[in-house]
Formats: sequence, C-alpha cells, structure tokens
Amino acid sequence: MAERRRPAVSAALSGLTLAALVVLVFALPRALPGDPLAALDDPASGVAITDPELRERVLAHYGLDQPLPEQFAGYVGGLATGDLGWSIARNAPVSGLVAAHLPWTLLLMGPALLLSTAASYVLGILAAWHRGRTGDRVALVGLTALRAIPEYVLATLLLIAFAVLLPVLPVGGARTPFAEHGSGLAALADVGAHLVLPLATLTLSLTATLFLLQRHTVVGVLGADHMLLAEAKGLPLRRRQFVHAGRSALLPLLTAVGLQVAFAAQGAVFVEAVFAYPGMGSLLLEAVAARDYPVLEGAFLVLALVVLAVNLLVDLAARWVDPRSAAS
Amino acid sequence: MSAPPTDAAAPEGGLRALWASPTARVGLGLLGAVALLALAGPLLLAHGPRELVAAPLAAPSAGLPLGANAVGQDLAAQLAAGARTSLAVALLAGAGTVALGGTIGLAAGWFGGTVEAATMRVVDLALVVPRLPLLVLVGAYLGPSAPLIAATIALVFWPGTARIVRAQTRSLRTRAHVRASRGFGAGARHVMRRHLLPELALVLAAALVAAASRAVLLEAGLAFLGLGDPTGASWGRTLRDAIEFSGLFYTPAWQWWLLPPTLAISALLIGLTLTGVGLEGRSNPRTSRHRPGATP
Amino acid sequence: MSLASAPVLDLAGLTVTYPGPPPVRAVDDLDLRLAPGRCLGVLGESGSGKTSLAKALLGLLPEARVEGRLRLAGRDLAGLDEAGWQAVRWRRLALVPQSTASLHPALSIGAQIAEPLRVHEGLARGEASARAAAALEDVGLGAAALERTPEELSGGQRRLALLAMALVLDPEVVVLDEPTAGLDLLSRARVLALLGRIRAAGTALLLITHDLDALRGLADDVAVLYRGWLAERGPAARVLDDPRAPFTWGLANAVPTLGDVKDLRGIRGAPPEPGEVVQGCPFLERCTQAVAACEQRRPPLVAPEGEDGARLVACVRGGRVPVLRARGLAKAYRPRRGGRRRGEVAAVDDVSLEVGEGEAVGLVGPTGAGKSTLGQLLVRLVEPDAGSVELEGRDLLAARGADLAALRRRAQLLFQDPYEALSPRLSVAEAVREPLDVAGVGTPAERDAEVAGVLAEVRLPSSPAFAERRAHELSGGQLQRVALARALVLRPKLLVADESVAMLDPSEQTKLLALLRDLQVERGMAMVVVSHDLAVVLRVADRVVVLDEGRIVEEATGAELLAAPQHPLTAELLAAAGRPGALLGERSLARQAR
Repeated sequence: MAERRRPAVSAALSGLTLAALVVLVFALPRALPGDPLAALDDPASGVAITDPELRERVLAHYGLDQPLPEQFAGYVGGLATGDLGWSIARNAPVSGLVAAHLPWTLLLMGPALLLSTAASYVLGILAAWHRGRTGDRVALVGLTALRAIPEYVLATLLLIAFAVLLPVLPVGGARTPFAEHGSGLAALADVGAHLVLPLATLTLSLTATLFLLQRHTVVGVLGADHMLLAEAKGLPLRRRQFVHAGRSALLPLLTAVGLQVAFAAQGAVFVEAVFAYPGMGSLLLEAVAARDYPVLEGAFLVLALVVLAVNLLVDLAARWVDPRSAAS
Repeated sequence: MSAPPTDAAAPEGGLRALWASPTARVGLGLLGAVALLALAGPLLLAHGPRELVAAPLAAPSAGLPLGANAVGQDLAAQLAAGARTSLAVALLAGAGTVALGGTIGLAAGWFGGTVEAATMRVVDLALVVPRLPLLVLVGAYLGPSAPLIAATIALVFWPGTARIVRAQTRSLRTRAHVRASRGFGAGARHVMRRHLLPELALVLAAALVAAASRAVLLEAGLAFLGLGDPTGASWGRTLRDAIEFSGLFYTPAWQWWLLPPTLAISALLIGLTLTGVGLEGRSNPRTSRHRPGATP
Repeated sequence: MSLASAPVLDLAGLTVTYPGPPPVRAVDDLDLRLAPGRCLGVLGESGSGKTSLAKALLGLLPEARVEGRLRLAGRDLAGLDEAGWQAVRWRRLALVPQSTASLHPALSIGAQIAEPLRVHEGLARGEASARAAAALEDVGLGAAALERTPEELSGGQRRLALLAMALVLDPEVVVLDEPTAGLDLLSRARVLALLGRIRAAGTALLLITHDLDALRGLADDVAVLYRGWLAERGPAARVLDDPRAPFTWGLANAVPTLGDVKDLRGIRGAPPEPGEVVQGCPFLERCTQAVAACEQRRPPLVAPEGEDGARLVACVRGGRVPVLRARGLAKAYRPRRGGRRRGEVAAVDDVSLEVGEGEAVGLVGPTGAGKSTLGQLLVRLVEPDAGSVELEGRDLLAARGADLAALRRRAQLLFQDPYEALSPRLSVAEAVREPLDVAGVGTPAERDAEVAGVLAEVRLPSSPAFAERRAHELSGGQLQRVALARALVLRPKLLVADESVAMLDPSEQTKLLALLRDLQVERGMAMVVVSHDLAVVLRVADRVVVLDEGRIVEEATGAELLAAPQHPLTAELLAAAGRPGALLGERSLARQAR
C-alpha cells in the first residue's frame, strides 16, 4: 500500500505536516469572515471577555496589535517554549490543561492500537486459513458489521449492555469520583475498571478494519509458492500459519496500523464523549462549546503531534520487521 | 501446470456481481429502507422534527410511533428528517470526494513524473492528519451547516480516493492493451474514455460508497458532538440529546429515544459497506491452490 | 528395469484425479521404480501431469483423489493422514520446486534452511545455523548467504539455496521439478554437478525436466510422460538417443541441444489441455502413424520386438514403425562398349537401410558413389540384382500388378532436374493430376479439388491462370514445387528426394527444405535425401549414410558425424563441405582412371 521511505524522509514529511498544521491553526481564526478574535474584544458579541486581566493574557497570546509576520513569529516562538496560550473558559494556561488531559487519551489510544493489531494479526490469519467455514463467515459478517458502526454508537451499545442492563462496569469517567483507595493497587484497579468499556470500544472499532485487511492479505498469500513449500517441508500447522503466512502479511498490517492511528485519535474523541472520559477529546469538545479558541488550537496541535509521533514509531517498527525497501 | 483451479469461478465484480452477490443485495435492501424512510417521512407523519407536540418522554402511541423526547418533540419525525440529512450529506460528500479524488488521482497516475510525485506528497500529508479534530476545528470557526460539512468532508477525504485511483491508473497505464491503443496513435482522451474509465468505474463506485460511509459517520458524529447544524435534524443530534439526558436509563424512554437512531445509523452504514463489498467482487485466482481447512 | 537393490520409491497404478466438473485425470496409472543412488528422469511437457506427480509424492494434493500404490522404502504412503505425512516430508522425501518464489520473501536464507533442522530434529538455533552454513557451502553458495533474503540472490543462487534446503535433512529421495529451468549455463553446470555428487552419495533423485542434456548426463533411466500417461520408459541413453515412442521421438526432435545441427521440428497439433479421461491412446490426435486400433484401447507398456526388455514402450503399433526396410540391395552395371572400364561396376553393393516414420535419412557421398541408383532402387524404379525392399511392411519387390501399383503410390521419387521431370506438353494442373487419374482416385471434381489443395500446400498459387501454365513458363523453383506437388498428391509415406535442391537458388532451396520439414511433421512422411551437399543434409537428416563406391562406409547422426567422423571419406567430405566439387572431382577422376 504505502511506499516505504527512508526514515529521514518520513521524519521530514512529518515535520512538514506539523508545520503545515501550525500555519493552518494560526491562519484560521485570523482569516475567517466574522473575525472570531475581534469578537473576543467586542462587548456586543456573545463571546467577549469581561475580565480585564484575562483579556490581556489572551490578547497578548494572539498579539493582534502587531503586524502579521510578528504575530506568527511570536506564535511559533511560544509553541517552541511550550506556551500554548491561555484558556478563556478556565482562566489557566492551556499547556497545563493539555498535560492533565493527554495521559488519559494515551492510556486509551496506546493499548487500543496494540491490542487491535495483535488481535487482527491472529484472527486474520485464522479466518483466512479457514475461509468459507462457519467460523470465518461469522467473523466476516460480524466484523464487517462492526466496522460499519460508528464508535459512538458502539460505545452507546456497550454502555447500555454492560453499565445499564448488566451493571458490572461504571457508566463513565476515568475514576470513581471522590473515592479514597486503600492502596495503589486498589487505585489502579479502579482506573482499570473505568478503562474497560472505552478501551473495548476503541479496540473493537480498530480491529474491525484491521482484521478485514489482514484476512484479505493473508488470503492472497495462501496460494503463494512459498506456502506450498512450507507444507512440503513438513512444518507444523501453527508455524505455517503464523510464521510463513503471517510474516508476509505483517508489513501491510503495520502500514495499515499507521494509517489507523489518525482514526484512533478520532475514535478516542467519540469514545471520550460517550463515557465522559477526561481525555483530549473531552477537552476539545468543551472548548468548542465554550468558544475557547486558545484551548481548541492548542489541543488540536498536541493531538496532531501525538498522531504524527505514533505514526513514526509504527513506521520504524515496520522497517524493523521487513528491511526490504519495497512493500509487498 | 497440471493442477487445475479448484474454486468455482466467481464473478469479477461489476453490476452483475452486485446483483448476484447476496451480501450486496442485503446492503442495497438496507439502503432502500433508509431512503424510503427519508422520503416517506414528511408524507406520513403529521409533525416536523422540531415542533413541540407532546408531553416530555411520552410513550409511543398511534399518533407518535416513536414517542417524544425530553422536550416533547416527535422522535419519529426526527428519525425521518435525520434520514434525509444523512442521505443528502452522504451523496454530496461522496460525490465530491470521488470527483475531486478521482480527477486528481487520474491525473497523477496518467502523467506521472513530477505531477505524480507532488500530488502524492500532498496525499501522504493529508492522510496522516487526524480528520475529526480538524473538522471540529474548522467547524468551530466556520459554524456548522450541512452543506459546509459535506464540502469539508470532501476536502478532507479526497486523498484516500486519489491514492486508490492513482494506483489503479498506473497499473492500467502499463497494461498491454492500453499500450497497444497508444501504439495506434490514440490520444489520452480516447484511451481514458475507452480503456481507463470502464475499469476505473468499478474502483470509483467502490470509492463513492466508502466516501459516503465516512461522510455519514462524520456528519452524525459531528452532530453527536454538538457541532452539527442546530437548525437541522440529525440522528447524531438525537443520540446526543438522549445521552446527555441524565437519568435516561432510569426510565424506559431509552428504548424509543436512544435505540432507533443507533439502529438507523448502523443500518445505513452496514448497507453502504455491504454494497461496497459486493462491488469489489470475489475473484482471487491465487487462493485456489489452498484449500481452506484442508489441514486439521 | 533391473535393480541392484530394492527400490526406495515404488509407484504402481498411481492415478491422480481432480474432481470436476469435469473430473481431470492428471496422472494415469503410473508405474515407476526408483532405486537408491539412481536418478530417474521424468520427461514431459506442460499438461503432462509431472507437477501433479511431484505433489502427490509429498501428499500435497488434498483436493485430488490419489489412487494406486505409493511406497517409500517399503512403507505405504497412500493412506497417510496429516501427522503421518509430516513425519515423512523432508526427512525422507524432499522437494526442490520449480519456482524460486518458493523461498519465503521475508525470511533470511539461513533461517529457511535451518527451519527443518529446528522443527524436525529439534536443534538449537546456533547449531541449526551452523548446519545451514555447511549446507550452503556444500552447494557452493557460501556461508555469506545465510543472512541474505531471496531478493538479494540471483535466480541461479536461489535454485542452489532451494537445493541446500532440500538436502539438509539428508533425505532418501529428492524430487526436483525443472531444476535447470531459467538458469544461465554456468549455474546450470554447477547444479548438475552437485546433483551428480548427491546421487553418487546414495540419494535417489527423481528429476522432472525437459532438459534433454541434463537427462543425458544425470539420469540412469527415463520415463516419458504424456497427458499423465507413460509413453515410454527405459535406460536413459536408449530412450533419449533411440526413442521408440512417437511422442518421445517428436519431443527429442523439438528440443534444441548444443552440438546438434539438425533443424528443429515440432510435433503436430497442440499440447493437450489437462485431460478428461480418454479411451484410446492419449497421443492419438498428434500421432502420424495412428490406426483404427489406437482409438479403442490404451496401449500397455511392452518391450519392442527384438529388444531385451529393459526399455518399454506404450504404443499400439509397438513404437515408431519402419516405413522402409531395405536389405542387401545390390545393383551392377555392365560397362558400355568402347568405354575405358572393363568388367562390372557395382553401383550399389550390399546396402541395407531402414527409414522410420517421420524420419529423414541423408544419403551422401562423392559423385558416382551410387546414391542416385540406390534412391531409384528404393522405390523400384530400377530392379535390384539382389536384396529386398519392404515398404510399410509389404514386400515391394514381390508385388505385382494392382498390388504393385498400389504400393508404388506409397513411395515417390523427386528428381534432380525439374526441367526434365515434367512433361512440356502438360499444364501444371494436368501434371499434378496425373497420378490421381492413373490411380483412379475419386471423381474428376474431387481430383481437381485435391490438386488445388496440394498446390496450396507447396505454396504455389492455385488460381486457374497458374494451373494452365506449361513447364517452360515456370522458374526452376516453381517447377520443382510442381514436381513435389505431383509427388505428394497421392500422400506417400516415403519421399526420395534425389538432389532435389541442387539446381535451386539458395532462397528457393531453403524454402523448399522448410516445406519438406513441415510435411514430415504434419504427415509423418519419411524422407531419403540424396545429396552431395553435406551442409544441406546435416540440416535435414536425422541420420546420415555415407556411400562410397556402392557401399555404406559410415552411418551416424549429423552431430556424431561432425564431432567424430570414423571414415576418412567422411572426413574429406566434411572438409570439402565449404568447397563443393574441388576434392570430390579429383577423387572421382582418380577412380575413373583405374
């Protein structure tokens, strides 16, 4: 699918993307009709800031009285030092808010990506191997349907099933509010319990796509000459499935995982919304509702940065798996 | 080679396969059902989606097939109106994505060289960006409205289609019959019309369905997040209202408030996916050598 | 086949059928035996079932029905389940597949070669790696290849890697599917040398290939496969150099080998599709000597008449039939009065000659050697003083009247001088029609149609305008073709071409020879080509007979003649082949002076 590039080129492209996004984020509020930034200043608009100190901070961040190039320089300089601006709604630095919310999203995205990759690898091979049989058909139909269901719908369904009808898991949040835990382990268990449904939702959603791809790839590999020879060598079934067939499919899978990282971030936003999970998604949504532009911009950039970084990691992993320059 | 293929020959995709494949038929059936809902709604239902017509959380009755929500709006009307929105966005965004992505992909694959390289760099860049957050951002600044959402979706999703079309064009460009055609002195337009477009039609149809799916997902998603058109009706909006109503699960209302839009979105998306599967066809000659489950 | 020891591979009645519809019989009732330290070659084209055979030996055909006896060192493999097969595969029976894509693209060569060691012998990684390195050294690839992926190796190197992988567990039998295909000559030589060493070390080889030179060098016995059925089986030298089954002979003529000067000939018809079950002989459609009985029954493998039984042929007619059999022919001329010679001169002296179906025998020698006389004797245009001539099994010399007339039509002579061969009075059409009129074949309309057909066959215009032309209006080349058409119109089985191309321009000569070759292929027509031009003869003839003063002094294939002429005359002829007439003229003058 994707062409393999040298690591330096990949990194350069990621950097370029980030730069483009920075420019986009800088330009949007300033370029739109009905200048949102002017609205912050205008008492007649619904979003004016009344607190003078807050107003100073926010306007200083945007630097509206300066010419454009200096605004941009200031903006980029701020970003480089970790200054993401000041939140209008919370009256606090954006970077602090991001620092508080980001770990939860990573806790959701990371394991979801790992689990979905592993599950797809195994299930895809097994389904392809036994294609046409009951197990494969069930998996195909089920996961195709699953793929069609948006994350928020899936989240809702899981919520209904496991938190309402069978009240075994919490309805939302990352931790039980106001709870005191006896030990670190108990606290961990609490976090884990709250993580189950959101993680399950995101993992299922990612697996659906990856499984279908993996199955398709492996089906293509099964008829290859080297599979016949592997059988001729008298190799046991599991080895043929997971080393010979799976290995050829690993690279396309990892490539697909790379593409899925962006979707994982997107899915996380929805999942966090349904489960009221305090991650970057929730932060974004609050900011939208409150027209809190600095938070909006900062959160978006950080999220994009995370996606690009994870993508690079996956790219490196793919390269380690298969050092050949051409993808299969 | 003396080992003959052992799988019965499967149809190669295309309209005939679409009809022949039971999967696709189910998909088309689902799509038809949603379309019916969208069209029949205003005719059969007495109220609009936004009117306050009943007591809050009224149970379903003769005049209110799906009851009412927390402020007393007709849920059945909302479902039908939502169907119209989803289908409209799906079509607009899908068509836009395919038109844009298809044209650019075709140009990239056909001309090759710097055009291709430059285009593909842009595509690569675009693919890595997380879409929803970008849409959220843009929506926050530009304000939500259904046509705008559709347009933004098309602008965000064309790279995926462009990549597929470019790959296909490149592969087709080097096929013997295309080269032979050029050998007769056929110009680019003739070749594209006679040879490329018929083959690409299949890919484009599949891409259209895929783009439409994503558009539906995103439109409902944005509405779900509260970023949709506040004056219109959307399934996502209904879902959001339901979820945000605290204590929803202490009343039986969730069954007629939460479930119908959930099922409707799923039905539409499954319908689109299955149709897409049917379009892609099933033949893969390489697999014939391997017999599934032959080894215990 | 006599075997020094018990066979390590024993196949009897092996049949592989793929379910349909329609069901396809890829391998049909095969009987093969392979002894340790010996190499059995399996020769066949695509569609012959050779790949199905290879796969069946390793139990890799779950989708097919495999019947018959399949034994490895006495142990029955036919009913094995998957676990049973896994115990046999690679340890006792290994496969070197044709496709070098059989190497896993993402794993290193070393890992793939070490894999059977780790799985079957439970070796640790380090030890397996060391053994793999040793295996690579043995095949000549070197331990450096351990870390490489298949992509980094050339086609020949990949083939060697596959070989190393097959040998690593020291199996009793190695099945090789086209191991030399697509290799450059040096790699090929290396592979063949390696195979020779392995065979010498006691491993049995089943070599499936259509590389005849490889078979000649490596195989002890050869089995010829056509459409899943054994056409011939026997010691390699005999099967390849003296093939009896029509298919084997056709295949041997079609494969280019270094050192062969003969033009290649194909087999008529097309290679078969993987076949439905046929009732009669599977080769029927392409065979030039088929008779009615060939449709009815499948011929069993039997030894041809007069042979010791080491080689078996499956042919209803017992193998390639002889078209002409001449024994002890002799003809003497009395000298003319007043000539300088005294007494008799033996023009032909005790000559025996045999020409088989579709075969071309070249007759060369200096002027006055008796070539033309012999040619005319063979078709009884001249009565011999002694000897016998059998044409298609019937005695030509004893025939009389109507029998003789009928027999004569089966053999025709094409003369040297086209200007003399045709009557100046007759038109082209009349001349070509004459034999049909004489034989009383068909209605006049049918005869005309036949004439048009044969004119087209010799690539002459069949328009009425051309048909009306007379001899003096035609060129030498056209005349010779008309003469050929006349000779062919009765569909003879033997054509004696007496210096038929000598008077033609080189271009016409080449085209005529090509035409004759096509007729050989299409009709199985046998030819005796009489010529003093050795270069032409070497191109056309399967065997060359050198005549001197009425006696055969040497008889060999063209390649043998070129490589090692036995008789001094042959050597002289070869030397003079570039300068026709020079030495030859001197010699005959010297003879005449005696």
